[in-house]
Amino acid sequence: MNKRTFIFSLITIITVLTTILLPACKSSSSTTTSVSTTTSSSTTSIGSTTTSGSNTSSGSTTTSSSTQTTQTSTAINPKGPQEIILNLAGEVNTIDPNRASWTNERSVIMQCFDGLLAFDANLNLVPMVATEIPTVANGGISSDGLTYTLKINPKVTWSDGKRVTANDFVFSIKREFDPNNAAEYASFYFNIVGGEAYYNSASKSAAEQAALKAAIGVKAIDDNTLQIKLTSPLPTFIDLLALWPVYPLREDIITAHGDAWAQPDTNGNMPYYIGDGPFLLQQWVQQDHYTFVPNPNYWGKKPYLTKITYKEITDANVAIAAYRNNELDQSGVPSGTEKATMADPILSTQIVRYAQLVTFGLQFNCATAPFNNKILRQALSCAIDRNAYIDQVRGGVGHATLSWIPPGMPGYDASLGTDWAFNPAKAKDLLAQAGYPNGAGLPTLKFQYANTGVNPVMAQFVQAQLKTNLGINLTIEPMDSKAFSALVNNKQFTWALYGWGADYPDPDDWLPQIFGTGAGNNKTGYSSAAFDALSTQALKELDNTKRLQMWADAQKIVVQDAPMVFVFNRETFAVQKPWVKNLVTCGMDGQFPGDMFLRNVYIQFQ
Amino acid sequence: MLRFIIRRVLWLILVLFVVMLITFILMHLIPGGPWDREKALAPAVVKALNIRYGLDKPVYEQFFNYIGGIFHGDLGISYSYSNRTVTSILAHGVPKTATLGILAFILAQAIGIPFGMAAAMRQNSLADYTSVLFSTIFASIPGFVLGILLMIVFSVLLHWLPTSGWGSPLQLILPVICLAALPAAQASRIARASTLEVLRQDYVRTARSKGLSERLIQLRHIFRNSLIPVVTVAGPELANLITGSFIIENLFAIPGVGRIFVDGIGARDYPLIMGGILFYAFSIAIFNLVVDILYAMIDPRIRFD
Repeated sequence: MNKRTFIFSLITIITVLTTILLPACKSSSSTTTSVSTTTSSSTTSIGSTTTSGSNTSSGSTTTSSSTQTTQTSTAINPKGPQEIILNLAGEVNTIDPNRASWTNERSVIMQCFDGLLAFDANLNLVPMVATEIPTVANGGISSDGLTYTLKINPKVTWSDGKRVTANDFVFSIKREFDPNNAAEYASFYFNIVGGEAYYNSASKSAAEQAALKAAIGVKAIDDNTLQIKLTSPLPTFIDLLALWPVYPLREDIITAHGDAWAQPDTNGNMPYYIGDGPFLLQQWVQQDHYTFVPNPNYWGKKPYLTKITYKEITDANVAIAAYRNNELDQSGVPSGTEKATMADPILSTQIVRYAQLVTFGLQFNCATAPFNNKILRQALSCAIDRNAYIDQVRGGVGHATLSWIPPGMPGYDASLGTDWAFNPAKAKDLLAQAGYPNGAGLPTLKFQYANTGVNPVMAQFVQAQLKTNLGINLTIEPMDSKAFSALVNNKQFTWALYGWGADYPDPDDWLPQIFGTGAGNNKTGYSSAAFDALSTQALKELDNTKRLQMWADAQKIVVQDAPMVFVFNRETFAVQKPWVKNLVTCGMDGQFPGDMFLRNVYIQFQ
Repeated sequence: MLRFIIRRVLWLILVLFVVMLITFILMHLIPGGPWDREKALAPAVVKALNIRYGLDKPVYEQFFNYIGGIFHGDLGISYSYSNRTVTSILAHGVPKTATLGILAFILAQAIGIPFGMAAAMRQNSLADYTSVLFSTIFASIPGFVLGILLMIVFSVLLHWLPTSGWGSPLQLILPVICLAALPAAQASRIARASTLEVLRQDYVRTARSKGLSERLIQLRHIFRNSLIPVVTVAGPELANLITGSFIIENLFAIPGVGRIFVDGIGARDYPLIMGGILFYAFSIAIFNLVVDILYAMIDPRIRFD
């Protein structure tokens, strides 16, 4: 009997362990290729994308920041129920603005909150809760670039009718650094006086923490005036004021309810999620759906939609089936079906596509052999046909690139990188120059990637290109996502797929932290004294023209050194029902097209 | 009987402890942690997150804290599911997953067993071949293919049923069919095989030769005896269905626990992994125990001590 029981127990253990732990060795079955933590952005316009705020309509406080639409008709004529159903494609981690970091979290938060500043559809900064964009000329920025003073529009109210004051921003910014919150975007704001010290004070006593909190350089001069002090000049600080981590928050609510303020009650209602945005999150049935209704006390122009529903369909094949069955008003398409969608008589008329602020590249471990050899890196760059990749593998969706900063952003330069464009003859020459004529003497090259979405196809494409164009064998090494990230973050990779999406549309977010010597996201081990010198200067340069010129020069240095093979910029490709009108897609979109400006969307049934 | 159950329950506790220990060790051995991302977090942020979730403590201390927590009904806080407690995730998801699982289980057994037995009774007839053909098809077609196929037919083409989601009985139809397909096929094959074996037993021949009616032979001798292998498989199968299917829940956007646990592994959400394993191991062990007790009720040869 004992023996039998023992065997049963053993079988139980083995069954459980094999069934649950085996999938860990495989990859997750996500249908999209993840870029990185945050805003995979995009833009519909190629207009001016400067973020200096110099030519924006100062004093304007309206919410209609852009008149650009994807529709031809401009007359707004809502018809039928003003309800829309969209797909968030998965559960968010948190909708507490201070703590959020993922695109899908932004897609929820942006409906419910307005920040001091915001981006319009052309990625220009516009004032929202602040009455104007601070500049040195209007006194909003001190001449040394260290003190920011913002005026709060007295009209702005919370969804429960109370006024939004400067204190609500002081509370939010200080809370962003609260060590107990472990906010993931806090490091973006470490330039604020005292922020970093308070954030790192977890092991200190309550009294010491309170002192550090009090010392943070943020204060309300009066109800309508907010003052922020920086430790060093940071011209792109105004971009940071438009991001979700510093949206205003209600101290009374959060103190009374703790973390529960941003969580649903047992019935899925959101009684404490009070915001100052155009919509209210009425219901969050976890893992199932979110429901938004208009904010009855909204201070700006009232939205047209009376109800927004986000569903959580994670499988792209199911999402498109739901779309065809009219359960969704907008949906992505499964990767690999773009061409079929363009050929479909109905779907082809419903396509929404635009470039994202996302670049994919193949990064080298430049610190170790053989990729410490610059000429070898350049040879490999010349051996990969990016256009063939876009046309043959991605169905023509995406934009082949030879440099790092994507089109639609200040700093994009189409003329960069042409030296290392696809050219098999040059690739062979360079390979010989690098010391490996016809690949002789070259160790077996290895390429690592997270085994999700379309990544395996990309790896196989690179493998085939090297074989065809250089006669080199490439070993491809698929990995679990987290294991891959750990490998890259610990710099144990040799050659790896890498993607970057914009946190905010400025070279500040694209160059120093990735190519600066020893920077947090510099995985390649790339180091250039010339780049570092320019970078240090550009981060502090208050003259926008000079600043952008420095970044342009810095990018040139990087592209020339080829620490990465720059391959393509991703494009959003979705379908949308014809009755959805006035959907404005934009460079800072979250999880799905147009989620930044749902306040402008209306429904018009024929 | 009671002694048997008590002994098995004590074993169960030991089993669960060993499962937890092995899981905990393996989980920390898998390369990559919860904060590893393609876009690396700043070191200060990683440190703050570790402190917030207690990952700054030595691993053995984390394990004993976790085990200690279980006795207070505290399974920790998820890192990746809106910071909900693992107990609330279970409380929220298990009823949905279980509803789906039990419905699928009933459907599978209700279809599988009669078909399998009927096929065995008419071995090598057209009915038998048809039954074998269908059970082979449903046993080999992957859930996600069948699911998409059903959606295309019933949602996209016919517009009869919603593709996915939770809330209305209509939304249950497709996932239940999809989930029941494989167990139904298995039940039918096992029922067929065991019925064939029972048909050749001496006691069946004896029953026939002493002139019992065919109906009585089928009910009393064949049906009951051929159920033993079916029940053996059905216990773990029910546990499996109740703990959820990643593929089906993911496909049909069901807010159950099956996909959370698999996602939890991908996210290195340690408390979620531990909670999921605990729940899964507990279910498997309990259903094994139930199967053992059922044996004694069905098979007169089995006795407890």
